[in-house]
Amino acid sequence: MSDKVYAWLIRLFPAHFQDQFGAEALLLFRDRARDERGFLPRLRLWLDLLFDLAVSLPRMHSSITPEFGSIQASRRFERIFIFRVQGAEAPRPAALLFGGILSLATLGAVPALINHFGNSRLPSAPAMRPRRTELAILGFRKLQASQSNPNDPGHRLAEGEKLGEAEKQRVIEVVAANLRQHYIHPELADKVAQALAAHQKAGDYASITDGGAFAALLTKQLRDTSRDMGLEVIYSRLPLPDRPVVPNAERLAPYRRALEESNCNFEKIEVLPHSIGYLKLNSFPDPSICSSEAKAALAALNDAKVIIFDLRDNHGGYPNMVMLIAAYLFDHPEYMYNPRDNTTEQSWTRSPVPGNKLADKPVYVLTSARTRSGAEHFSYNLKMLKRATLVGETTGGATDVGTFHRIDDHFGIGIRETRAINPYSEPDWAVRGVKPDIKVDDPDALRVAEKLAEQKLRATR
Amino acid sequence: MPKRKLDPLPSAAFQILLSLVGEDLHGYGIMRQVASQTGGRMRLGPGTLYSSIQALLEAKYIEEIDLREDPKLGNERRRYYRLTAAGRKLARTEAERLADLLRVARAKKILRGEYV
Repeated sequence: MSDKVYAWLIRLFPAHFQDQFGAEALLLFRDRARDERGFLPRLRLWLDLLFDLAVSLPRMHSSITPEFGSIQASRRFERIFIFRVQGAEAPRPAALLFGGILSLATLGAVPALINHFGNSRLPSAPAMRPRRTELAILGFRKLQASQSNPNDPGHRLAEGEKLGEAEKQRVIEVVAANLRQHYIHPELADKVAQALAAHQKAGDYASITDGGAFAALLTKQLRDTSRDMGLEVIYSRLPLPDRPVVPNAERLAPYRRALEESNCNFEKIEVLPHSIGYLKLNSFPDPSICSSEAKAALAALNDAKVIIFDLRDNHGGYPNMVMLIAAYLFDHPEYMYNPRDNTTEQSWTRSPVPGNKLADKPVYVLTSARTRSGAEHFSYNLKMLKRATLVGETTGGATDVGTFHRIDDHFGIGIRETRAINPYSEPDWAVRGVKPDIKVDDPDALRVAEKLAEQKLRATR
Repeated sequence: MPKRKLDPLPSAAFQILLSLVGEDLHGYGIMRQVASQTGGRMRLGPGTLYSSIQALLEAKYIEEIDLREDPKLGNERRRYYRLTAAGRKLARTEAERLADLLRVARAKKILRGEYV
């Protein structure tokens, strides 16, 4: 009850503040209410809050600037109706009067509230934790990048062209239709589609004229309703291709050439002091082009006592290259969870690798916020299998892993359509990334990993 | 624009910067740390806390790092904040300014006891 009272009071804050911090302010109130029980602590809590309102409300309303006026419905917290203040205008005197009276009334009601509800259990905050994602996606962004022609002025949207109501309506309808047709959870597809319809009816999209903002809001709403981080509405100012382009030798030629010129992105293969093998790999390239380079790189480190994989600049690549390299780290076939593919026999590494001596060597993986996609597939599994120690930063949480469906020239939707088995209790890396075991800034990761490796070697001597 | 809100640096913003030295914290963690480092004299309410956080974020003195749970506080996911290099520099500058003031106060002999 008392949190509902505070939720009402939060409405007195400017709209932009409610959007950005309303849910957090309510959570903070709940934290304090949980920790500060009893008459006096609760009275102090309410006095603090009312004093805080009295101090911060005038300051916030007097400092409203026009850029805060735009509505971001995406951060609205659940089930609470919000009064919005026009960004460029100060609140009306009547509104301030109402706020003042409400504050005084609330202050007067505090003792009664404490007596009646002070010890009641507070409802839990809106569940924000995403449910474990279940499946797979394809690299739409690569397709988009490879097929859009930024030099073709005929395909560009005019600068400043605004998103019309008709297009928004069409996008919402096609998103709902695609979900109902393709999503692996039909019951959720209905729920999500209904939620979008409700948002539209409530006028939540009325003020949005920017395609990117519209796609971001739809993505947020899809994920909020489904708890599936694999759903994503994508906007491209450049026209999207009519259909997926089948790779052929001609299209692959520049990719192949770039790989050949960069030693297949195996940037460094070194044996550091103390027999620490160091492999800096900046992608997981197509094994049909690069398997010999990969095998040569791992063979060069075969006598190392520890292996450090540096994936700090690795943006991902081919899952079968992830599997090829991971095979060297086990002496038996090991399951590698990949939300992008159905679970098949290809989900197990082809271990042991003949002649390989790395299967029982300690492994460190260096990560950064730039570590994405396939590199997260590698890092996540080695971490969960306790086969490697991750050193660095939380990875990027790449989510561009859904099967892409084109909506129109500028919008598409990525939908998970595969079912992989995640044997771990921890959700995969979608959005949240993979957390390192040893958290250090990415420039320090190699130095720290070397030190850890040396300590480990000393301890095992 | 945002930096203007922080010049001069409000006490709440300075305390928030200090609370983030050495560890990343969510909003409630910042509130508790500030209460602790001020001996309970400053209990930041949500309005003051988050408006200060907003100004510090806009000025890039702190940054949001991730959304995660605090195992001690249940399973809600919380936004964590981290001090940036610019924020650390600002906190140091403010501390030096206060130290200068303290030196003046000492020279004027208006302090007694353990403060001298």
